[in-house]
Amino acid sequence: MLIVENLVKEFKNVRAVDNISFKVEEGKIFGLLGPNGAGKTTTIRIALNIIKPTSGSITFEGKPVTNEFFNIIGYLPEERGLYKRSKVIDSILYFAKLKNIPKQKALDEADYWLNKLDATEYRDKKLQELSKGNQQKIQFIISVIHNPKLLILDEPFTGFDPINQQLIKETILSFVDSGKIIILSTHQMETAEKLCSEIFLINKGKEVVSGSLNQVKKKYGTNNIKIEFSGDASFIKSLPFVKQADIYSNYAEIQMTDGISPHELLKAAIDKININSFSVIEPTLNKIFIDVINESIN
Amino acid sequence: MKKILTVAKWEFLEKVKTKAFIISIILTPTIVIFFSITPTLLTGKEPDTTKVIGLVDTSGIYFRQIENALDKYTIEKNQPAYILVRLSGKSEYEFDSLKSAADKDVIKGKVEGYLLINNGGTDSVNVEYRSKSIGNFKDIQRFSDAFNEARIERKLKAEGINPKIMDYISKNVSIKPVKLEESGKESNVDTLTIFFTAFIFVMLLFMLIMLSGQMLVRSLVEEKSNRLIEIIISSCSADELLTGKILGLGALGLFQILIWALIAVSLLGAAIIPFATFHNILPMLVYFLLGYTFYTAVFVGIGSIVTTEQEAQQITTYLSFLLLLPIVLILPVMENPNSILIKVLSYIPITLPTAMLLRVNLGPIPTSVMVITICIMVISIYIAIKLASKVFRIGILSYGKRPSLKELGEWLRES
Repeated sequence: MLIVENLVKEFKNVRAVDNISFKVEEGKIFGLLGPNGAGKTTTIRIALNIIKPTSGSITFEGKPVTNEFFNIIGYLPEERGLYKRSKVIDSILYFAKLKNIPKQKALDEADYWLNKLDATEYRDKKLQELSKGNQQKIQFIISVIHNPKLLILDEPFTGFDPINQQLIKETILSFVDSGKIIILSTHQMETAEKLCSEIFLINKGKEVVSGSLNQVKKKYGTNNIKIEFSGDASFIKSLPFVKQADIYSNYAEIQMTDGISPHELLKAAIDKININSFSVIEPTLNKIFIDVINESIN
Repeated sequence: MKKILTVAKWEFLEKVKTKAFIISIILTPTIVIFFSITPTLLTGKEPDTTKVIGLVDTSGIYFRQIENALDKYTIEKNQPAYILVRLSGKSEYEFDSLKSAADKDVIKGKVEGYLLINNGGTDSVNVEYRSKSIGNFKDIQRFSDAFNEARIERKLKAEGINPKIMDYISKNVSIKPVKLEESGKESNVDTLTIFFTAFIFVMLLFMLIMLSGQMLVRSLVEEKSNRLIEIIISSCSADELLTGKILGLGALGLFQILIWALIAVSLLGAAIIPFATFHNILPMLVYFLLGYTFYTAVFVGIGSIVTTEQEAQQITTYLSFLLLLPIVLILPVMENPNSILIKVLSYIPITLPTAMLLRVNLGPIPTSVMVITICIMVISIYIAIKLASKVFRIGILSYGKRPSLKELGEWLRES
């Protein structure tokens, strides 16, 4: 279990992380979400013991994070880069060795992963000869080759095509069964929604929302309705019980004022437009993200 | 410790394999050889034609003697190197008109050049060699010797002294410097060897620091710019990374110098190595390694501040020249190894290694001075590495603009 307690990190005049606390359990994917500059990377760096917090603590398996955890932490930073002029296999072996993996085991693991991620043909090539997506695969391999207990992935999907995104997603999900602690930091709410069981939304260093995905969705998503229609639906916006409406050409997402039954909307709309479908939906994480961040700004 | 070696091995092997390294290993000696051998080949060649040299001597007394003196110089097939011709020795002509006539002969190419002797036989004699090309210092030296010999011989004769005394006068006894070691033993080393040994070691140190220092800074800047550093720093400590880099790139620099030394020895023979001075090798190596470590630590500190390669190169170049400062002082120091200046410089960490490399070669250094300077160096290295690793820890994670001195101070106080 990774426990973050009252974490504060101040840089010159700026509180990058302002008193946040959360727990991550084994076998769960924890989504650390937030807009750019929210304090995600700073939090990650403290967890990696790259920088020290101003106050508060991060403990892993009951012990404060120190250099002794180096070999059981895997980290995929957001900005990708490897030794461009080195051979793929050499780079992988170097980082495995830095994690204290014996050479033969590192070789076996490297070949296993190259095969699994469909990159065996690049084994003996120089990194700069690879496409961006393939370079990212190599970097992903480097972050997991030592079978880390704690895996921190910062935007693991950017730069991948949909097929490879799927491949990486499946790989990450397979780690859940092996009881790893996984922290996933991303802007891609759709992905977070599919993968994370817990989320922590951070903005300007402060916690905005946290909890299990279901809890968060329940909290923010009781009165959301999706209508597919034909006709002019612009009147919906001016209905008194509609809190907010996103109206597109043939469908609309509508958020009702608290305590109003979806029925009211149906009654008001049925005479004015042709309704093809009408459903009460959960809000997407994307919508929650945008709403909550906007709210916290106002 | 294991991770330090992992980093060191990686830095060494990955750089050794690069094309740039292989090219520099071959290219540098090639350039050096080209520039050092070509001029020698060109100037060392003896002329293959006899030169006709004129003589204008209003006194008319030197011709025979100078001709005899120049006879001993020959070129291929025993041909004489010079033929001396009397352009005009008659005193009835005006000196100025003689001169202009002879000048014309030179311009027309009748003679290569001519010796103009004015006021011959008096104390106010002066001699000119007038020619279209006066760059041949070897010729001029020979003419000068010939004239002076003739002049002295005439004077001796006039004073009634046996001209054989001339041989005695011309035999010059030079004083041989003998360096005494602390033990009282004589050392068989001449001044030039001392100079070159010190010079070679200082230059090696300079080159090693330039080479590996720049590689170090460059590799840091690269890792920083693609944020690779974050992965490394989450696998080993900043100190381990730093030490590993210093070791690996230092080994690489030594390797490069070793290869150059091997090339030099195989081309020029072992004679170029001043073996006689090798009894100083131990203290020299100590100062060499101390200097290297100190400078590299300073380079790391700087390397983690800068964000682009250009900046890195500018700064490392300036820094390296500080190291060369004592070289400027090498001649004054050789004249007076006990000068205050060199003593002061040998207690300042930045110049200490060079200054001591010079002093070790010039004379016995009291043990107390050795101990003190080595202590100063060790302490400086400790402080430099501590400061460097602090700056490194924070600097590697800061991107964008270079920090101001004030910010740097804050970095040092932090953590």
